[in-house]
Amino acid sequence: MKDNNSRRLAVDIGGLVLKNPVMTASGTFGYGEEYAAYIDLSVLGAIVVKGLSITPREGNPPSRIMETASGMLNAVGLENVGVRAFIDEKLPFLREVDVPVIANILGDTVEEYCEVAHILSEAEGIHALEVNISCPNVAQGGIDFGVNPELAFKVTEGVKNATDLPVIVKLTPNVTDITEIAKSVEDAGADAISLINTLTGLSIDIEKRIPHLKNITGGLSGPAIKPVALRMVWEVVRAVSVPVIGVGGIMKAGDALEFLVAGARAVQVGTANFVNPRSTVEIIKGIAAYMERKGIDDIKDLIGTLKT
Amino acid sequence: MADPEKSIATGIIISNREIFKDHFLMILRVPADFRASVPGQFVMLRREEGDHPFLGRPFSIHSLYSMNGETVMEILYRISGMGTALIARLTADDRVTILGPLGRGFDVPVGKKKIVLVAGGMGIAPLFYLAEYCLEERRGELGETVLYFGAQSSHHLFGLDRLERLCSSLKLSTDDGTFGYHGPVTDLVAGDALSFERNDSTLFACGPYGMIKEMARIAEKFSIPCQVSVEEKMACGIGACLGCAVRASGENTSKRFMRVCKEGPVFDTREIDWNWREG
Repeated sequence: MKDNNSRRLAVDIGGLVLKNPVMTASGTFGYGEEYAAYIDLSVLGAIVVKGLSITPREGNPPSRIMETASGMLNAVGLENVGVRAFIDEKLPFLREVDVPVIANILGDTVEEYCEVAHILSEAEGIHALEVNISCPNVAQGGIDFGVNPELAFKVTEGVKNATDLPVIVKLTPNVTDITEIAKSVEDAGADAISLINTLTGLSIDIEKRIPHLKNITGGLSGPAIKPVALRMVWEVVRAVSVPVIGVGGIMKAGDALEFLVAGARAVQVGTANFVNPRSTVEIIKGIAAYMERKGIDDIKDLIGTLKT
Repeated sequence: MADPEKSIATGIIISNREIFKDHFLMILRVPADFRASVPGQFVMLRREEGDHPFLGRPFSIHSLYSMNGETVMEILYRISGMGTALIARLTADDRVTILGPLGRGFDVPVGKKKIVLVAGGMGIAPLFYLAEYCLEERRGELGETVLYFGAQSSHHLFGLDRLERLCSSLKLSTDDGTFGYHGPVTDLVAGDALSFERNDSTLFACGPYGMIKEMARIAEKFSIPCQVSVEEKMACGIGACLGCAVRASGENTSKRFMRVCKEGPVFDTREIDWNWREG
């Protein structure tokens, strides 16, 4: 990317300036190093790493994934190396790359979220936190933090108090009214909101009459969920004033542009990384080419310009 | 850092023929600078045109060689779902996107003389390449290469003429008794295992989960090292999706889980906790 391009594509997410609006979605980009053989990581707007918990998690037994129509179901089970191993073993590699690193965090209790947030804030080389609130709250009988406005408020407030880093809260689409949750996390101090996480789904092997996934249900991602994600982003953009990051089924530059026009200030590319490890780079180039073609000098003049 | 531009290749299909029901041999031309592979490594393959299937599919490399100045790769596969069914429809001149070679391949130890290959059904796919490698690259250094090959029925014992040239001896079995020993191929291996010189032999196995699990048991019982190629569904093939996890055994507690695509697909049987999953 030339300096000229970087300036035109730069966006500000809760105080964090990105050279372009394209980041990776958590859980689809490992800890960055997996993609270094395929792309120059420094061209990315940001890298959002695989969700981190206070202790390592083993995840679910296989089968963990299943392709479905224009998408895939996954039930990896939040497998991760744990926050301390991440800092010791994975972060040194990322520190050498000129790219903002956003750590996605998760937990079973508000206290666990806060502890992970605190530990990461002390580490050098983390530029923001993204809070995955699509996790069961063990203390509240396993109800997901992200489906209840009060729980979503509490976890956001707790993380904000535990860190000085910008806090992005990632919302689950598996709710009746996503704007209610969005307003709640904004009230709790979230600096930005990303959405959507995966939609809960099920796929069945009719020969054996068993679920394709060992976990029975899984999270649906890929192009199949893009219209749902786009609708929810459009709703949330109008309900809150903090920046919104659009996620869900972005495969090509055109998909990313739809989210930007709908009002997302940035996007995350997820499942596309599995299909083509160079997707993010191609999307960044495609956005720049679109702006060139349309005579748009600054991406800010494109964001939220949907005519209805 | 590898050259990003070279990590993704385009393959052009020379032929993609059904060798028997639902089993296919794809022969494709790959770029001359397609990275050298080790037997046991795999590729993620996806149709270049269209969005269906959506994800690539992992295939062991069955063979990789130069012919008339071109680099040619062979893939032996079975239709096991929607993705492979669509790949089976590809014909000559169709183009595919190839990621790879990926993962950790077989490690043929220096100083071991006897190579014992054990294939169950389509498990022959990477072992054929390994047999070629032992004969062509390690000739002189290795002693005999013995192949145990079991399949459902006689016509599933694919490529015997080529295998006869590569291996010192073939021991065959079928589940239905139409050829060779009537029963699982692991019975043949277990029956002969006492005669293997344990300090001088290495087992290499690939096949259905139950079969390689049985190989792990045989390897332990007779104290013969055994490397197995493990199959699991995966989305990316490069270590990011974590779809293809296997649990590490107690002897390998530094990592509780391993990725078939990255730490595998070839594992020493002692590295895996074989009780993690059923099937």
